[in-house]
Amino acid sequence: MFNNSSKILFITVMIIGTLITVTSNSWLGAWMGLEINLLSFIPLLSDNNNLTSTESSLKYFLTQALASTVLLFSVILLMLKNNFNNEVNESFTSMMIMSSLLLKSGAAPFHFWFPNMMEGLNWMNSLLLMTWQKIAPLMLISYLNIKELLLISVILSVIVGAIGGLNQTSLRKLMSFSSINHLGWMLSSLMISESIWLVYFLFYSFLSFILTFMFNIFKLFHLNQLFSWFINSKILKFTLFMNFLSLGGLPPFLGFLPKWLVIQQLTSCNQYFLLTAMMMSTLITLFFYLRICYSAFMLNYFENNWMMTLNMNNFNMNLYLILTFFSIFGLILISLFFFML
Amino acid sequence: MKYLSICSISFVNLISISFSCFLFSLYFLLNNMVYFIEWEVVSLNSMSIVMTFLFDWMSLLFMSFVLMIASLVIFYSKEYMESDENINRFIMLVLMFVLSMMLLIISPNLISILLGWDGLGLVSYCLVIYFQNIKSYNAGMLTALSNRIGDVALLLAIAWMLNYGSWNYIFYLEVMQNEFEMLLIGSLVMLAAMTKSAQIPFSSWLPAAMAAPTPVSALVHSSTLVTAGVYLLIRFNILLSFSWLGQLLLLLASLTMFMSGLGANFEFDLKKIIALSTLSQLGLMMSILSMGFYKLAMFHLLTHALFKALLFMCAGAIIHNMNNSQDIRLMGGLSIHMPLTSTCFNVSNLALCGMPFLAGFYSKDMILEVVMISNINMFSFFLYFFSTGLTVSYSFRLVYYSMTGDLNCGSLNMLNDESWVMLRGMMGLLIMSIIGGSMLNWLIFPIPYMICLPKLMKFLTLFVCIFGGLFGYLISMTNLYSLNKSLLNYNISVFLGSMWFMPYISTYGMIFYPLNMGQLVVKSFDQGWSEYFGGQHLYQKLVNYSQILFLMHNNSLKIYLMLFVFWILILLNFLLFM
Repeated sequence: MFNNSSKILFITVMIIGTLITVTSNSWLGAWMGLEINLLSFIPLLSDNNNLTSTESSLKYFLTQALASTVLLFSVILLMLKNNFNNEVNESFTSMMIMSSLLLKSGAAPFHFWFPNMMEGLNWMNSLLLMTWQKIAPLMLISYLNIKELLLISVILSVIVGAIGGLNQTSLRKLMSFSSINHLGWMLSSLMISESIWLVYFLFYSFLSFILTFMFNIFKLFHLNQLFSWFINSKILKFTLFMNFLSLGGLPPFLGFLPKWLVIQQLTSCNQYFLLTAMMMSTLITLFFYLRICYSAFMLNYFENNWMMTLNMNNFNMNLYLILTFFSIFGLILISLFFFML
Repeated sequence: MKYLSICSISFVNLISISFSCFLFSLYFLLNNMVYFIEWEVVSLNSMSIVMTFLFDWMSLLFMSFVLMIASLVIFYSKEYMESDENINRFIMLVLMFVLSMMLLIISPNLISILLGWDGLGLVSYCLVIYFQNIKSYNAGMLTALSNRIGDVALLLAIAWMLNYGSWNYIFYLEVMQNEFEMLLIGSLVMLAAMTKSAQIPFSSWLPAAMAAPTPVSALVHSSTLVTAGVYLLIRFNILLSFSWLGQLLLLLASLTMFMSGLGANFEFDLKKIIALSTLSQLGLMMSILSMGFYKLAMFHLLTHALFKALLFMCAGAIIHNMNNSQDIRLMGGLSIHMPLTSTCFNVSNLALCGMPFLAGFYSKDMILEVVMISNINMFSFFLYFFSTGLTVSYSFRLVYYSMTGDLNCGSLNMLNDESWVMLRGMMGLLIMSIIGGSMLNWLIFPIPYMICLPKLMKFLTLFVCIFGGLFGYLISMTNLYSLNKSLLNYNISVFLGSMWFMPYISTYGMIFYPLNMGQLVVKSFDQGWSEYFGGQHLYQKLVNYSQILFLMHNNSLKIYLMLFVFWILILLNFLLFM
């Protein structure tokens, strides 16, 4: 990925765009950052030799451009009414802003572009899309303070994320629906406090990094590949599925920790209904993760005759194992540290 | 390894412990001593849970007998279980069984008794299912569950014993014997003892437990498992003698004696006949115990242990030679082909019948004479003496079928009497079952019982025995054209031959309705409505929703963008016109 110097440029600019958005103190500045981010992400996505990634980049461009247009439009509207000050008190205007930001981040009622687009990407771009590209819109959403639309979006996101992944055999779609589900949790944590959102986001990025890292190395795009690929190394197979469960948020693993925080915070804010919806839908995601793991661990599977040997170098292997260690034992370690304090 | 097998090692150890126990018991008996050792495990709210050991002549003598029989049985198993792959496991199980029995014998404390009691239950289950087949599993389950009732009763008794602040029952029995709570404890303990000793409502497990290997039967049904109940009631004897508990026990025990004596006359399975005879002797012990003569019960317990173990060991040797067939109709003429084994078999059978000057004579004759001089109603009297006659009857029937006539087994069957290890094991017990009765008689009763009877009554026992033997011989002597009298009264025969339907009542009778109900519940709830409204249906629904969701995903991107624009327009509409 980094053998092309233009990619270094675009990634740098993409990061700068996000930073501009996050640090700007006016909506116009935020909009500008988003545009910079978008325009530098598009060249990263498109690959001349690959038709699907070009299509995906186009889809991404259209969607984001529409969202940016609406954002700019509503920001200007806001400024016209409020004499260019930054206060957001006009509910419908801010709902428009919110809608455009939800579209940008791919949250539930406006999520339709997200799985379709991700189906055409390679894993590293998918990772960027799932994690980095969420920072700017989510930060902007945190400035807005309308509970209703956010609440609807959270519930729809978790439900869509849960139900969408149920019938999935494509790993990228699975990950994208998982991302939508986690986005629901992140939005709900945004309603409570930004620090919890930050924690959630970091853990989510960490966990999805481990998985996409492995998927990228072994070029895994479908579930049946997972079942038949790691014949040589049962440890790799086992840890990979543990990471899956960790991403799903099964309690002894690290993925449960951010969920735990959010659950605790929401409980203390008496958001029981929201919490019930979120947890029930997360149960569904856990169900299908567990189902995948069961069939991988316990059912017999086909072995490929043409299977390649493990082409993983030592550094990657060590990195993977260290990260996996944290992903599996992180929650226990953190709890132990907490006891020691 | 041949000479240092687990059997030999255990044999030497057990027999030496047995001898030392015996010597100690003589010493304790002579000096009238009791040793009481108490170790406090934990103390809680003024309740102390203690591990207690009581060594008096009774426990030591019983221990020495149990250990001696166990050592000989293990010695015998060396050949009997020779070709068994898991002989080590088998011997270890037997050793654990003996250990539980030891714990039971030396505990005067309800909690520490429970330790040995539950150990007996568990290990007996493991031993009954040692041969892995369905019949063994069923027998094992019946045994374990019947004994579980007794365990529960014992636990309840422990709970009630909490009233007195300690579980060392021996301190409270005499003082508190008139209290209602103590009576309750007594009845619970009696229930427990009745399950272990297979008294009447719980009899069915004892013949079923014959599925165990024969050495186990020799150990379990002579001196250990089934006598545990009798021993427990010997310890609790005071509670029985002066209350309605004793009367109830007298009735049930003498009925057990009667029932099993009758049943044995209809049985054709060698081991089951012996098991039923054990049951009838247990009934005898229990009934004399319920009248308050606990020393006599102990006496009969010990002598019975000797000859019954021998009887089982002979049966094992015979079964080996009959190619694992236990049907006595296939035997016959064994006294010609296996003279030494037959000698032992006959001696133990005669001892069981109460042949004068063999082991059984001293205890059984004394019990019957004591019954005669006691205040006892006609019914119990009838049961006692009729059962005694029945004992002789089925013994002679057994001898007739197996020892006389021609061999009725397959023509390619080789009988031999050269299994020396088994024979050596049997010889030890043979000597004991000849001299054991008189020896114990002189030891236990330093002052003889005073029994004063008219001549007719004195000879009643002998008369009943001779008549019973004659009867047993005559009913078995059939020829080709003889009329089968028991077939004429088929219903009665089935009733009497199947232990008064007790095996059916305590298996099918217990489980029929719960099992049917369980099937109904499983079919209609677990695999029916719960599954439909629970897991399966929910999953189906979710998959349907997922399909609908993907139907929505099938559209082209512009439709989604159009929808978004519409949504923004709606918002704008509200913004402008409100």
